[in-house]
Amino acid sequence: MSHIDRYTCEEAFHRLDDYLDRELPADQMDCVREHLETCAMCASEVEFEQAVIDDVRGKLRRIRAPADLMSRISALIASARGADPEPS
Amino acid sequence: MDASTLPNPAAAPAAAPADFESLLAPVVDRAYGMALGLTGNRDDAQDLVQEAALLAFRGFHTFRPGTHFRAWFLRILVNCFYASARRRRPEVSLEGAAEQAPLLHLFIQSRAAGMHGAGRDPAHEVLDRIAADDVARALDALPEEFRVVCTLYFMEDLSYQEIADVVGVPVGTVRSRLHRGRKLLQKRLWQAALDAGLAATTVPGPMEGDV
Repeated sequence: MSHIDRYTCEEAFHRLDDYLDRELPADQMDCVREHLETCAMCASEVEFEQAVIDDVRGKLRRIRAPADLMSRISALIASARGADPEPS
Repeated sequence: MDASTLPNPAAAPAAAPADFESLLAPVVDRAYGMALGLTGNRDDAQDLVQEAALLAFRGFHTFRPGTHFRAWFLRILVNCFYASARRRRPEVSLEGAAEQAPLLHLFIQSRAAGMHGAGRDPAHEVLDRIAADDVARALDALPEEFRVVCTLYFMEDLSYQEIADVVGVPVGTVRSRLHRGRKLLQKRLWQAALDAGLAATTVPGPMEGDV
């Protein structure tokens, strides 16, 4: 890639969300990545945004269903089958 | 997940009803987490998962064995949510279109609070303050059009196209809702962190002796 193809901060920032989600075409992913290698400010923003996404994901995915939810679902299904609900 | 894993009534053979609970049990935590993000409270989340489970059981003949059960079930869950949301909040909210979605809100606010010093990890410092249930509540506080795509995005590793397939909107709509929804979510997360006492320990306070 020649220097003239390099993204400015504004061009890279405009693609920040798509870059984080790897939803850019490969050539644009490369252009953003190259910009981040040479721009500490943009790189720190991207790192921050990625950390927020990862933390939100981690917290939400650690949520556990109440212990009795599956047994209540089983009882509902037993009723739907026409059988006696499981004892609670 | 791709379109081939989604419910297809024309597909055969049908799965045996006895398999349903053994397939559902491993995904019930993830389904509940998604329901909590969509509804914002535990009772409604449990009701939503139960409603979706019953509907899925009744439609289990449309599930093709060997395909992605979780994707199939979560699509039913989202459809259930839309149906129940229409019952509970029949008015269509346009607040999301009007609300300002600031850029880099957490980055800028945490920097202004003096959290970007050397060796610090400001994103984790902010998020560590917020309990998982409060993150789910922050998601629920988003206008519905943003909440659904954001919840799918955070709970599942789906591409924009896969989210579009589940929600039933064009991929460009998913992109704009997700980007905007994430920005609006950051506003709510910052407020949640402040409510949890973040500023008390991070914003430079009065000089010693001023008290």
